[in-house]
Amino acid sequence: MLLVLSAEHRAHLGCLPRAGGAVGELGRLALEQLRRGAAPRACESAARKLNISVDIIQHGVEGLVYLLTESSKLMISEVDFQDSINVLGFSDELNKSLLQLYLDNRKEIRSILGELAPRLPSYHSLEWRLDVQLASRSLRQQIKPAVTMKLHLNQNEDQTAQVLQTDPATLLHLIQQLEQALGEMKMNHCRRIVRNMK
Amino acid sequence: QRFRFCGDLDCPDWVLAEISTLAKISSVKLKLICAQVLRDLLGEPIEYDKILKLTSDAKLESGDVKATIAVLGFILSSAAKHNVDSESLSSELQQLGLPKAEHAGGLCRSYEEKQSPLQDRLRACSLRLSQLGSVRWRVDYTLSSSELQEVNEPVVHLTFNVCDRECEKMTAVPVTLSANKFWVLLAGEAPRGVAAGTSL
Repeated sequence: MLLVLSAEHRAHLGCLPRAGGAVGELGRLALEQLRRGAAPRACESAARKLNISVDIIQHGVEGLVYLLTESSKLMISEVDFQDSINVLGFSDELNKSLLQLYLDNRKEIRSILGELAPRLPSYHSLEWRLDVQLASRSLRQQIKPAVTMKLHLNQNEDQTAQVLQTDPATLLHLIQQLEQALGEMKMNHCRRIVRNMK
Repeated sequence: QRFRFCGDLDCPDWVLAEISTLAKISSVKLKLICAQVLRDLLGEPIEYDKILKLTSDAKLESGDVKATIAVLGFILSSAAKHNVDSESLSSELQQLGLPKAEHAGGLCRSYEEKQSPLQDRLRACSLRLSQLGSVRWRVDYTLSSSELQEVNEPVVHLTFNVCDRECEKMTAVPVTLSANKFWVLLAGEAPRGVAAGTSL
């Protein structure tokens, strides 16, 4: 599968031949940007060292970031990567260093990209309490058990809590349904799929 | 095999595994680490550096130190949760493989000293949805209004300060009641001398 680079992208990457030996430096900046976000001061110091304007360095780094993330996302092969960047008309040496940059960091970039997917709220903890209602304003001498639960959930570093209340019979039914759901994992259908995924 | 301190259930596998780590620490140091863990369970700050120093002799890795704190925390809080006396706890820990005289004995003595405060603390931490913080009140006497020249009626203002669970948010709920309505709130029935069914 070939990467199609837009004209704007190609223009941004056009500064790379001018960097000459400092392509490694720009590659490092691109990876740092992927790990930690943009670092304008680092770009400025690189611009001063190479005597190129800051904007061009910034575009070059962003162009590299996009090239690396798209290639890692699609997990394209070496041959496809080389063919995709051949369009840019760089020297063989530059092509080789870009390929090396891609291959060395592919796994790490994929793990970073994996964490960007949106997540549903996930379980954090559950507090519970068993109460028995003995009397109320309307009716004296009752026995009414109730289980009150506070479900703590995590969603993207936000903590929310949901308060639930149920009687013991419904709670037992809920537990039974959840156990049936877990039991489904042991059925042949699930077992076959799990075996094939390994 | 069922254990009282685990709530009459099987002992969790990870606790079984870490008992052997506990046996590696000398009993004197174990008692001091217990004291630190009890401080943490009672809500005071834990002094992790002291624990690191105490475990340095036994040459435990950092993962083992954390496991030790976790297993001691589990044993002590679970025993308090199920109201286990210290002798039963000692015999159950010995069944799990903790050496008798020094280790189990020392641990249970620390537990016995702090059993009541620990149970009080666990009771206070139990699930609670909201809590009444305070009530403020004021009684006014209305003399006159734009509707009626002579009103001469008392009016009660109440403000309930409701605390959210962790007492982070305090919400004020203001209520204004006429004197008769206030009697209904207080006594559950209308004051004598008011005809039944009168809207208050």
